[in-house]
Amino acid sequence: MTSSRRRRVADVALQSGVVEVAEKVDRAKVLQRLRVGDIAFRHTTRAAAVTVLVILSGIIFSLVYGSLPALQKFGFNFLIEESWNPVTEHFGAIAPIYGTIVTSIIAMIIAVPVGLFIALFLTELCPMWLRRPIGIAIELLAGIPSIIYGIWGLFVFAPFLQQHVQPFLITVFGHVPVLSTLFEGPPYGIGVLTAGLILAIMVLPFITSISRDVFDAVPPMLKESAYGLGCTTWEVARYVVLPFTRVGVIGGVMLALGRALGETMAVTFVIGNAHRISGSILAPGTTISATIANEFTEAVGDIYTSSLIALGLILFVITFIVLACARLMLMRLNARLGQ
Amino acid sequence: MSMATFTVPTVTNAASNKEDLVEKVTVQNLDFFYGDHRALKNINVSLYHGKVTAFIGPSGCGKSTLLRILNRMYDLYPNQRATGTVRLDNDDILAPSQDLNLLRAKVGMVFQKPTPFPMTIYENIAFGIRLYENLPKSELDGRVQQALQRAALWEEVKDKLGANGLSLSGGQQQRLCIARTVAVRPEVILFDEPCSALDPISTAKIEELIDELKEDYTIAIVTHNMQQAARVSDFTAFMYLGELVEYGDTTRMFTTPSDRRTQDYITGRFG
Amino acid sequence: MAVMISGASSPLYAARRRKNGITMTLAYLATGFGLIWLALILAVLFYEGFSGLSLKVFTEMTPPPGAAGGLLNPIIGSLVMTFIAVLIGTPLGILAGTYLAEYGRYDKLSTVVRFINDILLSAPSIVIGLFIYEIMVATMGHFSGWAGSVALAVIVVPVVVRTTEDMLTLVPDTLREAAASIGLPRSLMIRKVAYRAARAGMITGVLLAIARISGETAPLLFTALNNQFWSTNMNAPVSSLPVVIFQFALSPYKDWQNLAWTGALIITLAVLALSITARFLGSQSKKS
Repeated sequence: MTSSRRRRVADVALQSGVVEVAEKVDRAKVLQRLRVGDIAFRHTTRAAAVTVLVILSGIIFSLVYGSLPALQKFGFNFLIEESWNPVTEHFGAIAPIYGTIVTSIIAMIIAVPVGLFIALFLTELCPMWLRRPIGIAIELLAGIPSIIYGIWGLFVFAPFLQQHVQPFLITVFGHVPVLSTLFEGPPYGIGVLTAGLILAIMVLPFITSISRDVFDAVPPMLKESAYGLGCTTWEVARYVVLPFTRVGVIGGVMLALGRALGETMAVTFVIGNAHRISGSILAPGTTISATIANEFTEAVGDIYTSSLIALGLILFVITFIVLACARLMLMRLNARLGQ
Repeated sequence: MSMATFTVPTVTNAASNKEDLVEKVTVQNLDFFYGDHRALKNINVSLYHGKVTAFIGPSGCGKSTLLRILNRMYDLYPNQRATGTVRLDNDDILAPSQDLNLLRAKVGMVFQKPTPFPMTIYENIAFGIRLYENLPKSELDGRVQQALQRAALWEEVKDKLGANGLSLSGGQQQRLCIARTVAVRPEVILFDEPCSALDPISTAKIEELIDELKEDYTIAIVTHNMQQAARVSDFTAFMYLGELVEYGDTTRMFTTPSDRRTQDYITGRFG
Repeated sequence: MAVMISGASSPLYAARRRKNGITMTLAYLATGFGLIWLALILAVLFYEGFSGLSLKVFTEMTPPPGAAGGLLNPIIGSLVMTFIAVLIGTPLGILAGTYLAEYGRYDKLSTVVRFINDILLSAPSIVIGLFIYEIMVATMGHFSGWAGSVALAVIVVPVVVRTTEDMLTLVPDTLREAAASIGLPRSLMIRKVAYRAARAGMITGVLLAIARISGETAPLLFTALNNQFWSTNMNAPVSSLPVVIFQFALSPYKDWQNLAWTGALIITLAVLALSITARFLGSQSKKS
């Protein structure tokens, strides 16, 4: 330490000592002024957080309120009747509920295994340099608005199915018992199967990206110790990765199911909007969201409008339950990983 | 250095051989809890103006916890509470009515890892000053320069005050944080393992800096490094399993520790 | 060692390897299958959309059936409604996310809000349309651009809440402590230090939210409705790109169908550009 440096330090110390005395009072004053803003900000953020709850309550309340006329008129029968007649003002929700569930099941049957295999590919097999581009491509697929899937489904996919795939399905399965009912009738192109397939393409990226994230979260040591035993990649995936991440994968699948159940535009274009339950998945049908999208603005009369809102309420309840289960499972996985 | 009375770690003993020691911070019967876990047990210790007090001990002994009580940093987290008495001059630090911002402006802290704010070097310093004082630009510039000089960083950064604080090296970042602390004009400065993320040369600089700063401040430093404690401190406290085992003059602590556990730790038998 | 070698050529091991080979092939096929759709959709979209893309699209109004025209009014309508939705939804989302990450990180209210927010994040958007119809359209007695904007804002909020919370949680606690250690009040610490450290990530969240709403159709169908003509009156029905695509694609007129494809291409390009920018910003924020 040189003596000049010593002196400089002393100077600074002296100055600071002088100012400090006068300043102490000020600090308290300044803080007093800041405190109001501090408290205000805190309460503003809290109010904003509560707004999220208000939105949810608002949705539930407005749907219940709007569907009261229909529910009062039809009661429980609304849930089980098939007839949907705007002229006689007689409405039942079972056809759209059925369509919603069947299209979603078709979508999940295809998208879950494919999505899991893609996730497996991305986490275990894919060369490092290719992981990012493929991962990004899959996520871009998830970002494409559903109306794009709808218009593509209507103009490209449905005609393709009508000309090439559906006649084939009819010839192959037309004489097999049980399956023949599923593939009965002429190839319309549009219909329940087409809607289910479009949904599958739509939810595939969700399943893939969630499963990939969940697979990536497996501690590398765990996988390495399995490989160290001489396990093949498949065995590691099947006996280590999948069991470890099961809860998360199921959560991801249910999240995708929630999306599929509530999806509107991709389905509306290709489902055919027919209010009937048909055994054949080649036949036109309808879903809750498609019915609302197609008919709401043209609905005349309180009961018609109210029935459509009641459909919305049913959809919200179903998706709420599915999504809530999904979140609970993902939270459980995170809790386990956090330990 | 013949002080046979050091077996009981009390405040009066530590101070007994020094004249005109000014007690700045007094800790009495301090307990600290993380939820139900009692992390500190009946701590009694004093920090003196113009002196450096080092806290040593194995990981998890509670030395950082103790430091974070002195500026109530633990208040940021739930389920943590302290009981007992901690005084800064005559001000009760633990009092519920204590204004935390005011307290923290008086009791500055430098952390284990450098924590420059995501802004320019200049702003990193000016930010804290502007908070409490409405200064004209020229005066603010002066204060920033003072603080950076005080932290022995001025020569290295005077031509790039507009650069991001994160662009500095680790050692420079840590000195920037010291400058930031000094700029607010605290009375006490707490160092929480300030060199554990730094190379030996940067460490030497920080130690030299602590030595210069101590004339005007009350300094407490937590360190893993016993040589560092021996080099920079006037008093040393050895902590073990949440207790303050022994406390006294640094030279005495390192030459003739009175507690068996202190001796074992200092000679490297555990920790 | 001898055991190991015989193990390697045993029938059991061969079967295991075969199984592995089959499943690994399936993994490759699945990836190819997934990527083919992306390629097919984009290829068709570009093929059909580009042929109709001209200056006229951006300068002329939507035409009556059987005539030529452009998409100027729906483009402007979409931009305005998106802008207002972001203006309403972003501050709300950022503030709520701030509460979850900063003030209420550990409290009960946050746990509930976080859970509900995650559900709203994937709630069917058509239900949000019904909700806004009930509280705005039905009470005011007419469809309006404002109703459309609010419906979109309801979709923006959960996205921004989520990303804001995530990004603020990534800000190290030591930075908060450092800010507190110079006597910074909590609100200033958040606004001046934490926001600054999380800025890139928070902007990413807003961009993702814009990407999300720019293609939303369902919530606009019975809030903003549609408008064949030029209108800057937000208190009246306002045309939007997705709704026009929906209407034109389902029409029997070739001109309208072509415009629908062109509109679809414009939306997709906008969404892809937003997602890529957001991703780029996101990766930047992780680096620093």
